[in-house]
Amino acid sequence: MDLLFQFLSNTGYYLADYRNVIMIVVGFLFLYLGTAKEYEPLLLVPIGFGILVGNIPFFKGFGLGIYENNSVLHYLYFGVTTGLYPSIIFLGLGAMTDFSSLLARPVLMLLGAAAQMGIFFTLLGALALGFLPKEAASIAIIGGADGPTSIFLTAKLAPHLIGPIAIAAYSYMALIPVIQPPIMRLLTNRKERLIRMAELRDVSKKERIIFPAVAVILCCFLAPASIPLLGTFFFGNFLKECGVTDRLAQTARTSIIDTATILLGLTVGASTQGDVFLTPKSVAIFFLGAVAFSIATASGVIFAKILNLFLKDKINPLLGAAGVSAVPGSAREVHMVGQSEDPENFLLMHAMACNSSGVIGSAICAGILWSFLVVL
Amino acid sequence: MAYVGALIVFAGLVILSSAISQFHKVLLFFEKRHAAFNNNRKIPENDKPEETPPSHKPKGFPTDLDEAACLYQPLIEELGEPFYLSDLYEIAKNNDFPHPHITLTAFREAEILAPYGDGVFGWNPHTENNNNEFD
Repeated sequence: MDLLFQFLSNTGYYLADYRNVIMIVVGFLFLYLGTAKEYEPLLLVPIGFGILVGNIPFFKGFGLGIYENNSVLHYLYFGVTTGLYPSIIFLGLGAMTDFSSLLARPVLMLLGAAAQMGIFFTLLGALALGFLPKEAASIAIIGGADGPTSIFLTAKLAPHLIGPIAIAAYSYMALIPVIQPPIMRLLTNRKERLIRMAELRDVSKKERIIFPAVAVILCCFLAPASIPLLGTFFFGNFLKECGVTDRLAQTARTSIIDTATILLGLTVGASTQGDVFLTPKSVAIFFLGAVAFSIATASGVIFAKILNLFLKDKINPLLGAAGVSAVPGSAREVHMVGQSEDPENFLLMHAMACNSSGVIGSAICAGILWSFLVVL
Repeated sequence: MAYVGALIVFAGLVILSSAISQFHKVLLFFEKRHAAFNNNRKIPENDKPEETPPSHKPKGFPTDLDEAACLYQPLIEELGEPFYLSDLYEIAKNNDFPHPHITLTAFREAEILAPYGDGVFGWNPHTENNNNEFD
């Protein structure tokens, strides 16, 4: 009988507290949003299930939890804390990205730069709220709307915040259809939303091959700390474009990125154990993440309007919202908002140019913030 | 820190966008140079083209573009229109046509080869300009 009581006292039913229950509800919410609503299912499903797995109460000391040495989850989590998974994801992302539209209209890259202002505004906000500089930088990078970049920088600067920051970053990426359109509509008038972009010129194969090689040099010389992200990103793109490594590119953009995404999502979800996740800091991070994402969207749109004062070929300011690096969610949203005004206005390719420059921009931001703060 | 960071990111992407905006111009420049180099290299078989220019045109090959176009006509028919310039070059070379590169360049200048873009061409031997002779 004692053995039975001992067993029962070690079950999750006995050990559960309200924080585990709250997080399990959050996990189910993620699974619901991912499967029923199809909001970023490739991200929300692994994370949602990871939240369920990570919040099953267990007897501490068994080597089961993600924060316990020698547990399986701990080993899998190693890829997050070292920044390994984000690097691998960037490899696959590079092998998927087509830079043709960006090469055809390089000025769109400036919108990707402008959208990064959300990061720096939020950095100031987080510092003002009393976060330590490394924590503030990790929170601010949510404004880049790039999950792997956010995880990478947080792993380097504030590993104790990986859970809330990753969840916030991916949540806001999934909520793009809710967050971005109102901001786009608020900051533009109908006439601006109707602007049609000039036809893109044809981009030669040689240009597409040379771009990743030149870009990796220019970007990584500027911010060497972004090598783990941009190095693999441009390498993946070179594999895609060079024309002689199709098999490698195919593997990078399918099996490799999928494996990394599964492991990253599952372990990030599992890292949200109620007792370490549900803190006032997490609430503040979610609030600041929303601010960062909104400012990033607004910065891109406003900068596009400013650019239009000087450009002969006007840019549809909606494209500024795609300067965040949520690929391809924000580009798709820009296209849909544009089409809701004029069904024959096709902004997708132009928005993808801003999107891909946003990826580069946020990775550079991460590198810069890391190099600023690593000595502190 | 925030201002400096923002400035660096912006500067970096401005530099990158400026660089990529020049890509196609730089490539075009090198392609032109390459083409010019090939032209200069292919005219002479030896190192002194100015001393022996006529001797490099093989006997029996016409100096008149019209006639040259007639010789190329069967190749065009074999390829079918439109065709890649590289294919025409290859087939001409395989058939031992002398200096196909020069001939094709002359055809292009005379608009006998009509560009359709992306290296694809059509055949238009009856243009007004095609009575030019090779240099």
